[in-house]
Amino acid sequence: MNTSVSIGSLTLRNPVTVASGTAGYGEELSGYCDIARLGAIFTKGLSIEPRPGNRGPRILETPSGMLNSIGLENVGIGKFLSQKMPFLREKGATVIPNVAGHSVDENVELCRVLSETPGVAALELNVSCPNVKEGGMAFGRSVPTFTALVTAVRKVATVPLIVKLSPNVTDVTEFARAAKDCGADAVSAVNTFLGMKIDIRKGKPHFLNKVAGLSGPAIRPIALRIVYEMCARVDIPVIAIGGIGSIEDVLEFLMAGACAVSIGTMTLVDPRAPISCVERLEDYMHTTGVSDVREIIGRAQTA
Amino acid sequence: MAQLIADPREVARGHHELAFAWDGAAPLPGQFISIKVNEGSDPLIRRPFSVYDFREGVLRIVVKSVGRGTRELSRYAKGDALDVLGPLGRGFSVREGGSVLLVGGGVGNAPLYFLARALVAKGTAVTCVYGSRDAGQVYLSHEFLEVCDRLVITTDDGSAGQQGTVADLLPGVLDGGAFDMICTCGPALMMKAVTEIAVSRKVPVEVSLENYFGCGVGLCYGCTVDTVNGNRRACVDGPVMDGSVIRWDSLD
Repeated sequence: MNTSVSIGSLTLRNPVTVASGTAGYGEELSGYCDIARLGAIFTKGLSIEPRPGNRGPRILETPSGMLNSIGLENVGIGKFLSQKMPFLREKGATVIPNVAGHSVDENVELCRVLSETPGVAALELNVSCPNVKEGGMAFGRSVPTFTALVTAVRKVATVPLIVKLSPNVTDVTEFARAAKDCGADAVSAVNTFLGMKIDIRKGKPHFLNKVAGLSGPAIRPIALRIVYEMCARVDIPVIAIGGIGSIEDVLEFLMAGACAVSIGTMTLVDPRAPISCVERLEDYMHTTGVSDVREIIGRAQTA
Repeated sequence: MAQLIADPREVARGHHELAFAWDGAAPLPGQFISIKVNEGSDPLIRRPFSVYDFREGVLRIVVKSVGRGTRELSRYAKGDALDVLGPLGRGFSVREGGSVLLVGGGVGNAPLYFLARALVAKGTAVTCVYGSRDAGQVYLSHEFLEVCDRLVITTDDGSAGQQGTVADLLPGVLDGGAFDMICTCGPALMMKAVTEIAVSRKVPVEVSLENYFGCGVGLCYGCTVDTVNGNRRACVDGPVMDGSVIRWDSLD
């Protein structure tokens, strides 16, 4: 039985990964599963300097979902290399750092350094964080800005390059095509949807940043539609994200054409969800007589 | 899965005690558990509860009905299985000998019972200031009375015990005895006031934070608190922390 999938020159042992921002640097998750058994771990969005993240409320539950305004709190590249990578390497995890610099130059520098770091399997460029004032989603909503960044990063990234797309645009597929044209190896689709909450008692927005990112099962059907359309129109590997938490969800997104999936918010609900999806995918393939996971990928595209 | 050994019992107005069989790791005083209140996706995120007591394989929590998730929990029945993650976080220091003052507010009194039992078992004298809004919301005080050397109940409206907030009473209690340490759990404003009094009197103080938790296991960075040592996650670096290092204004 073959569960492996390819992203450029990288082979993942299975298509079940954990999404950036919901898996920390693997330390906590390793208390709930053998992180080496996951397809990959996308670590928390990195900047050169440590970031404290946003003040005020950061999380709020919504119907079948949640809003977050974390603001890319992270340890910075120095501590990531000296303290986080050794742990991840020792555990045998497939590590894909998420790169979230403020500027083109910062992202280029981060990608250059991380490309030279042993144990970094690929890079995920974050052009879609809705919770920071500079960088983040600002890179991911205009095709020329997006193209300039991806092109610059591609020149220094010597490992497979994945671009994490924002859904807060008219046509996400246009950005997937631009990523491919700039030489990206894959795209992650999608980051959180811009949302909001107003505290009616105080008569003002709940989050200090006013808007926040919506994730979880609430966005799953929208993410599925975006991934399905993207896979039909652009020939680039897609890592699907959007409220995925069960084997049924994993199969839906693979059948839509995604080559892999990322479990995000549902890992927060149950840190055992990712490993459970890995195991259940194997069970599913066994009971349905699928010998290669690639037989599932895109099945719903041709139907 | 953890099976309820009895129907949820209303122990005070809007507060239910849930008791379930627990064969997981033994919790320490101040640690918490995290419950998925139903199998569906709404409510989605887990609810954290401090451990009220754990002995002979039975874990007890006190659930205050504040929203849909907690109301749903109070409607469970004996024999039902709960999806419980835990024990989680860092608990209170359990001092051996000397004298410890416990200060609780509302549902935040719950972890102090388990702590009081552990302290008494180590030969430590325990005084507890048990704060509540009114008499109707005082729960399980007879159990506190059995364990603590001294129990001072205080309510905002004076309908039980003394009238006033725990912060109002605290200076008097501290004047009346020598304490090696203060442990507190309750609303942030209350714990801020308790910390200020403790610091001014040079008594070490541990607080149990009740932030809004996303995951409860350190993954989401949703419960970060600002401390003099930088950001700390309430769920894994706490919920119990040294009160004097917290920048309380960041919790407003």
